[in-house]
Amino acid sequence: MSQILEQIATGIIKGDLQGVPQLVQKALDEGLDAQQIVQNGLIVGMGEVGKRFKVGEMFIPEVLLSAKTMHSGQELLRPLLAESGAAHYGKILMGTVKGDLHDIGKNLVGMMCEGAGFDVIDLGFDLEPEVFIEGIKTHQPDIVGMSALLTTTMRAMGHTIKAMEEAGLRDKVKVMVGGAPVDADFADRIGADGYGHNAVSGADTAKKLLGTG
Amino acid sequence: MMVNRNNYDVNATPLFQVLTEDQIEAIYYAALSVLYETGVRVYDKEGVDVAHAGGAIVEETTERSSLVKVPHYMVDKARATVPSKVVVIGPDRQYKMELYKNQIYYGGGSDTPFTIDPYTGQRRRSTYNDVKNFARIGQALPNYDFHMSLGITQDTAVGTYDRWQYLAMLEGISKPINITAVDIEGVRDQLEMAYIRVGGKEEWKKGPIFSLYIEPVSPLSHSQEVIQKLLFCCDNDIPFVYTPCPLAGATAPTTLAGLLVQALAESLFGIVLSQLRKPGSQLIIGGLMSNMDMLSTIYCYGSPEMALLSAGYTDITKWLRVPEYETAGCSDAKIFDEQSAMEGAINIATAGLIGGNMIHDVGYLDSGLTSSMEQMVASNEVIDMIKRILRGIPVTPETMALDVMEQVGPGGHFMEHDHTYERFKTEIWRPQLIDRQNWENWNMAGAKRYGERVHERVIEILETETEPLLEDAMFKEMRRICELADARHKSEELDMKMFV
Repeated sequence: MSQILEQIATGIIKGDLQGVPQLVQKALDEGLDAQQIVQNGLIVGMGEVGKRFKVGEMFIPEVLLSAKTMHSGQELLRPLLAESGAAHYGKILMGTVKGDLHDIGKNLVGMMCEGAGFDVIDLGFDLEPEVFIEGIKTHQPDIVGMSALLTTTMRAMGHTIKAMEEAGLRDKVKVMVGGAPVDADFADRIGADGYGHNAVSGADTAKKLLGTG
Repeated sequence: MMVNRNNYDVNATPLFQVLTEDQIEAIYYAALSVLYETGVRVYDKEGVDVAHAGGAIVEETTERSSLVKVPHYMVDKARATVPSKVVVIGPDRQYKMELYKNQIYYGGGSDTPFTIDPYTGQRRRSTYNDVKNFARIGQALPNYDFHMSLGITQDTAVGTYDRWQYLAMLEGISKPINITAVDIEGVRDQLEMAYIRVGGKEEWKKGPIFSLYIEPVSPLSHSQEVIQKLLFCCDNDIPFVYTPCPLAGATAPTTLAGLLVQALAESLFGIVLSQLRKPGSQLIIGGLMSNMDMLSTIYCYGSPEMALLSAGYTDITKWLRVPEYETAGCSDAKIFDEQSAMEGAINIATAGLIGGNMIHDVGYLDSGLTSSMEQMVASNEVIDMIKRILRGIPVTPETMALDVMEQVGPGGHFMEHDHTYERFKTEIWRPQLIDRQNWENWNMAGAKRYGERVHERVIEILETETEPLLEDAMFKEMRRICELADARHKSEELDMKMFV
């Protein structure tokens, strides 16, 4: 039984985009529980990827392929997990703040979070505080992530948090921020809940904020 | 015997070449395809209209942007009027940058949020005073030709920092400056400040004292702020740098030729739009081009690819005959150390050897997040060495010195010869901070590392009193512009201290 779960984990590490969904289906056909497949197959695989990345044995493009592979496996299991009322994996709303068009860092964090099992909704870039507010109302995320590359646009992070407070939504979400000119001190000052100093740390922070990391 | 040897002593400068003409042309025609078939996304209605009126195809228009496709003939037309030479001068006309093929100028980099405190060595957010001090260092270094802020004034209002930053720079340096601006209002304010500095608009026309740094976003995206700045510069005779910063593997193809094609397409769009707006508008194209590190995800300032890409792009701009923005004197090291000296030396060498024009980012550490005075001072000496190498080896009867060899003869020495006496100072390079003593003398002098001597020089420059560059009345007039800008934008600031 555990053999197929091992194969799924290995498939994730190898980035076997075609093979892993097939293996997931096979596991379901063999009667394995969806939650088990996630925990002992998908997450074990991604966990190993994370370990190898941290010691420099796997690189970003490889990690992203693994994350994509895990995501494709997870999609198959999503309806089953929802049915069984299984553990919620966390939804994260991401965006680059107003005045800023830079999004490669945000995209990378988003992909890492997907690989960590999150549902990621990317609202795009150059986003007014109102857009974040609407996004929170529509998607009801657990976490809101904001990104900026320019020192001048960092202010929009503060404005957006203020807008959340005024809309009565601040205590409904956890807020994390990141981007080249941002640091932990600034995150504290504006009342954010977390700060990611790079993409990997961003995904780790998201897990911590959710209480699963 | 008289032999006609016309130009045998020309071509004394050693040549570095990355791309052949055929390769350059392949990249150029590929860039034209990208512009015509893939197009660029433009987030400014006025910019889209200008391009459209000039013959561009406009598609996929949304509320915020349009996809603009540029036919080849528009690029040809633009190339006919784009200047092959751009001049930026210092406000007192003592310093001048004439940017055209093979003319090399080195200078700083802009808007680093952090800086290394020259006294404590601490990495902290930069302030108005830091920006002023970096300018003073730049003023004192002979191989530093133009300035960029090497900091951000984070103890002033954030949304209008660009005005304060310019003021701080003008306090410290009288060399040409490459400014940044928050938006066109920021450019307008700094232009007003420049008019005050030089004595009016007509004086500006005799020689602009700043160029504006404008950076479109890779891949192929030109934001509203970027386009508005470009149009404003064209309308107001402000030379500008139009440079994307593509990242191999992230915002550009991972293969370097692909990155060059994309960067060129991005820059060519700037050329097309500017020449449509006002034929003869002066721009400098180029880029900070590099790879994303696939472990740390940083933008690599010290990588061999960065040096190689910049040099390759220089070959392209030489062929195009448009002035170029190059990158050197920078590193991914977090402090001034062996890594920063090494990475900086390599990219300074390649930039000088290839003949880059406006070679910026001297003093940049930590992938452009932190500025370092020590890196500036050390780079100044490396540049000096490269310039010596670029003087090459002229081959003439005088330099071959056969008669001198005859006089000295086998087994003699040259130390007392007139030829040596007359030539040694101009022929041979002398170091300033590089140490050449024998071990005993070096040890007796304190056994100092190079970094210590560089640090001492930084402190020496900072503590040397210099004549103020701005008269009090002029300073106050310019400061007023900064204060008025702050007042207009007060409501946009956060009601808390953001930094420091």
